[in-house]
Amino acid sequence: MEKNQANNRTRATGDGGAKDRVDRVDPYGFERSEDFDYESYEEFMSEYLVVLTRRSIKWSKLLKGKNRVQKNVKLKRYVRKGIPNEHRALIWMAASGAQDQLEKNPGYYQSLLGAQHDHRLVETICTDLNRTFPDNIHFRKTSNQCLQKALYNVLLAYGHHNSDVGYCQGMNFIAGYLLIVTKDEEKSFWLMDALLGRILPDYYNPTMVGLKTDQEVLGELVKLKIPRVWQTMMDHNVMWTLVVSRWFICLYIDVLPVETVLRIWDCLFYEGSKILFRVALTLIHHNQPLIQQAQSLPDVCQVFKQITHGPFVNECHTFMQKIFTEPGSLSMATLTKLRTTCRSCITAEET
Amino acid sequence: MSRKKAVKSKAATSSPSAGSPAGKGTGKAARSSPGIVQMNGVVHPSRPSISNSSEFYDIAFKVMLVGDSGVGKTCLLVRFKDGAFLAGSFISTVGIDFRNKVLNIDGVKVKLQIWDTAGQERFRSVTHAYYRDAHALLLLYDVTNKASFDNIQAWLTEIHEYAQQDVVLMLLGNKARSAIVLTLQEFGVPFMETSARSGLNVELAFTAVAKELKHRSMKDPSEKFTLHEYVSKEMKGTGCCRS
Repeated sequence: MEKNQANNRTRATGDGGAKDRVDRVDPYGFERSEDFDYESYEEFMSEYLVVLTRRSIKWSKLLKGKNRVQKNVKLKRYVRKGIPNEHRALIWMAASGAQDQLEKNPGYYQSLLGAQHDHRLVETICTDLNRTFPDNIHFRKTSNQCLQKALYNVLLAYGHHNSDVGYCQGMNFIAGYLLIVTKDEEKSFWLMDALLGRILPDYYNPTMVGLKTDQEVLGELVKLKIPRVWQTMMDHNVMWTLVVSRWFICLYIDVLPVETVLRIWDCLFYEGSKILFRVALTLIHHNQPLIQQAQSLPDVCQVFKQITHGPFVNECHTFMQKIFTEPGSLSMATLTKLRTTCRSCITAEET
Repeated sequence: MSRKKAVKSKAATSSPSAGSPAGKGTGKAARSSPGIVQMNGVVHPSRPSISNSSEFYDIAFKVMLVGDSGVGKTCLLVRFKDGAFLAGSFISTVGIDFRNKVLNIDGVKVKLQIWDTAGQERFRSVTHAYYRDAHALLLLYDVTNKASFDNIQAWLTEIHEYAQQDVVLMLLGNKARSAIVLTLQEFGVPFMETSARSGLNVELAFTAVAKELKHRSMKDPSEKFTLHEYVSKEMKGTGCCRS
């Protein structure tokens, strides 16, 4: 990391373009891609830094050094406007109930790691260790405090804790993000438990029925709210799973920009899985004309890749305001009803 | 056959599908869509496509990469697409992803849309839904990993159940180095060894599939082509069993 910063400083003496001023590595350790748009980023950050500073002051006043929070309307509003990174772990732990679980179960995480390990689980996890964020300096073996061992521990402990799920690809990215934010294995473990055990439906177990259900639920919501897009999908015979499975399984990791994903997760831990639909519907609704122009199934797939890039998703603060207005109302009752019908259709088809 | 350029096109905004939801089936039956002529399961673009690859092509096919987790599907695809092998630079594929490449096969531009899938077993119940749209399937195993070889039969069963009957199928033993060759049982499927690292036979695997698909769709009686013969003629061995 130090070496990187040194490099950046050397470059900073260059011709004075945005590329010379912005770090090659983002604040979370991810190297910026070859095609990273430094100019737009700098422009965006000049405004976003003002927002971040204002929010940071507000949060400090709210927390007053306490490490406890009560869920209420004010806190919800604060969360929607973004949790400063220094308070993220605290608020995620409190809002999701992970903190309660950690306190109720002292030593549990360590005991899982100390127990005998299922060798098949170990093998499956190991296959993905080198394939989790190779573009992040904290996940490199050469890093001083390489997070790979911590990643392995969290996934192994979770696999034994919830043996119905074990390990499912995608969980590596989730655990990786949790470690980056909390910098703590045990907290990451209990946040995994909150996400997979309470917040999300059964996305990751061997039948993946929760995932299949939510993909269809999204289809139904698009049919209701954005019928022309739904029609395009029908015309080209595109299954929803083809274009959105990664959105749900990875909770937008490696789909949307890091900062945007973390802002989404702020709300995900506080408000639940409904947020995932709000994000999907916003992306689709905002890009309705583009999707409708698609002329074939490959075109549709291409467009769905394209809409997860660009200024609309990079400008995370505006994007997070949009997800609560652009898709219109989305009640938990509607979602529950759709989930029930979609799930029974899927179960009937599979038996 | 007219050669089209796939570019972002303003003409596409006048798509007849926009704004006329009436008269379409409820999805699964609505196979033929405006602007696409389907012949022998081949997609012929009859108008400019908005897809990003601004390359000319005559015919397009869908190819899927399947096989156990970690056998090198993404590496093989990137080696073919970009000619690069970057060890340790890929993240595990979750769900499904795709890349396009246009090949020149005997003067015909053949566009392959190549789908890369998650290898973990539980994802099969999600990914096998796409098999029915695939024109070709490349089934990979890792020659240095016996478990991935032992799973070939399970994959073939899956493929026979969900893929089109006439799907072009090829078995690839990836991560091949000179000395390591596992005993190959007869699966009745064209087979070759590949290496995404060295590039061994990677181009050949995709070219062979593209040739077969092109041959099938053109139905030119003067042209004799069989995938099996082509592969055995062109294949570069890894030093044992065949020459």
